[in-house]
Amino acid sequence: MSRPVLVRREEVLRGGQPLSFAIGLVVALTIGIVLLLGAGHDPVAIYERMFVAALGDPDSWSVTLNRAVPLGLAGLAVAIAGSMGLWNIGAEGQILAGAMMAAGVARIGEGWPGPVLVTAILVGGVVGGSLWALGPAVARSQIGVNEILTTLMLNEVALRLVQWLIHGPWKDPDSFNFPLAPMIPDHGRLPTLFGRAHVGVIVALVVIVLFAVAVNRTAWGFELRVAGSSGATARYAGISLERKTATVLVMAGGVAGLAGGIELAGTADRLTEGVSNGFGYAGIIVAALALMRPSGVAAVAVLFGAVQIGGQSIQTMGVSSSVSTILQALILFGAIGAGVLSRYRVRMVPGDPGGDGIQVGASA
Amino acid sequence: MNEASLVGLCAATVSFGALLYLAALGEMVSEKAGILNLGVEGMMAMGAVTGFMTALEFGNPWLALAVAVAVGALTALLHGWFTVVLGAEQVVSGLSLTILGLGLAAYLGKNAVGRPPGAVLAPVEWPVLSDIRWLGPVLFQQSPMVYLSVLAGVVVWFVLSRTRTGLALRAAGESASTADAAGHSVVGLRLTAVAVGGGLAGASGAYLTLSVIPQWAEGITAGRGWIAVALVIFGAWKPGRVALGALLFGGTLALKTRLQTFGVDFSPILLSMLPYLLTIGVLVVISIRARNRPSPAPASLGIAYRREER
Repeated sequence: MSRPVLVRREEVLRGGQPLSFAIGLVVALTIGIVLLLGAGHDPVAIYERMFVAALGDPDSWSVTLNRAVPLGLAGLAVAIAGSMGLWNIGAEGQILAGAMMAAGVARIGEGWPGPVLVTAILVGGVVGGSLWALGPAVARSQIGVNEILTTLMLNEVALRLVQWLIHGPWKDPDSFNFPLAPMIPDHGRLPTLFGRAHVGVIVALVVIVLFAVAVNRTAWGFELRVAGSSGATARYAGISLERKTATVLVMAGGVAGLAGGIELAGTADRLTEGVSNGFGYAGIIVAALALMRPSGVAAVAVLFGAVQIGGQSIQTMGVSSSVSTILQALILFGAIGAGVLSRYRVRMVPGDPGGDGIQVGASA
Repeated sequence: MNEASLVGLCAATVSFGALLYLAALGEMVSEKAGILNLGVEGMMAMGAVTGFMTALEFGNPWLALAVAVAVGALTALLHGWFTVVLGAEQVVSGLSLTILGLGLAAYLGKNAVGRPPGAVLAPVEWPVLSDIRWLGPVLFQQSPMVYLSVLAGVVVWFVLSRTRTGLALRAAGESASTADAAGHSVVGLRLTAVAVGGGLAGASGAYLTLSVIPQWAEGITAGRGWIAVALVIFGAWKPGRVALGALLFGGTLALKTRLQTFGVDFSPILLSMLPYLLTIGVLVVISIRARNRPSPAPASLGIAYRREER
């Protein structure tokens, strides 16, 4: 009798993460085929439709890129905090807060010229998201309140605040009593680049590149990573953890808030409950797949954007768009599983299988 | 405000409280063993849809409940496999489980949307007790799930604080290496706790679609799983305090739809923020107190255990 044992590799496999990612994608698509067959659909036709709708021509690329914007910025908001070993689970709420503030700016600035209004809306988004992260940031840095739980709770609070605004104070008087906020003025919308792609795509890319450089190539980023790997080392090196923790969380909130501003002025055109349609949570998966590295979030975000846009397109074929939700989660689970194999190898050792099945971490 | 509407409010408070309590109790067991599972909302949705569909197919509410519990436990074991066995990040895996569970539930339940329930967990009639004025309708005309949730609370309290298994389970959550050194299987204990947590979340979901709102619709869990996560903190990881918290938070859910009936001019939407804000308040208090006394949170919560790295 022999049993499988996971043994830690001396060196992590090179190129392991892109490989894990690819394996995750294959695993997800395979399980997707089983689900689609189970419901009597034709998986090939459905995947083909998803691919064409998301990446088939420049027009579909423009929609996919637009969707990649909030996913990438939310992923960045998680990854910036993650570089320091902090968990920002609050991107969803920060996006909503950014959208609320941006919508408020759009209400005030109706008479402003286009470029001023658009800029003000985006800045409003950043401010709104930062403010939403300020509470958890201060609580964490000053009295050590766990940021996972505070940022998570504030997501639900932000959602209800949006609901309250559009049911109450900001309800459009011309909406026939439907809970709808008024449209933002036309000249406040983001200019388009090609197809339906708006300038938010460029803004997001610039922000992602800036943060990737800041985290990887500057002294500030180095301190951040040192603090993330060992608080004691950071303190010894004279890095103020309290201050850094607070700044990083507020910055992360600002980045997510920017996504809220972009969504408001780029695609939603009015404040709605769905202005962040789970982007904040999907962003956590995006960041995890990018191993919390700001440099990796853009590529993952485009792929997730494609999966989401593809998922919307199959509704006309009578298939639930939840297929794309399922695929996104499965990509992550598949990639985690594959990632383990880049850090461990499976070795068969003689012996009784025993009660534990696969044993993790048994020494070689 | 008349007597009937006040009794109705209290009865709904107990009913919503039990719904939240089941899921929160499960999350508490999982966290006590050191595993944070942010997949409650997803597991609840899976229990809700599979319970409802089993009832449609077979017309038996108890079979439906059993299926929901089993599905909840299996869903949770996916999280268990990744976090306990493979040592993946608990936050990421748990949130992905919520996304997967919500998506899968929507996919599976597509044809069940809008259909009348195949069976319900109907209120229990107690001899004499049910007829008591005030108390009868509030406590003794409830769905069997309310009584099962109380039973579950007592069992969890007893096992955790009065048995060797419970001690080992808490040890796995406080200091995994100590539990390991004492000869307990940390992997086994943690997987068991995660599965129990998922089973209770599944039961909570079935209670939702077989009694509280007897129907299936996408998104029917409506963030109640997150309230359950909050409740564990609010109740300081103690079954009794979590129960009190469940009644308080259940009260806000019950009051939400009744504010207008009572003529209270306050937005029900703002009221529904209360559980989350109270929980944040409790978190802050716990942290301030933690300077002088130990935090009530399990010390190894969220930390993967690998024997080679201890």
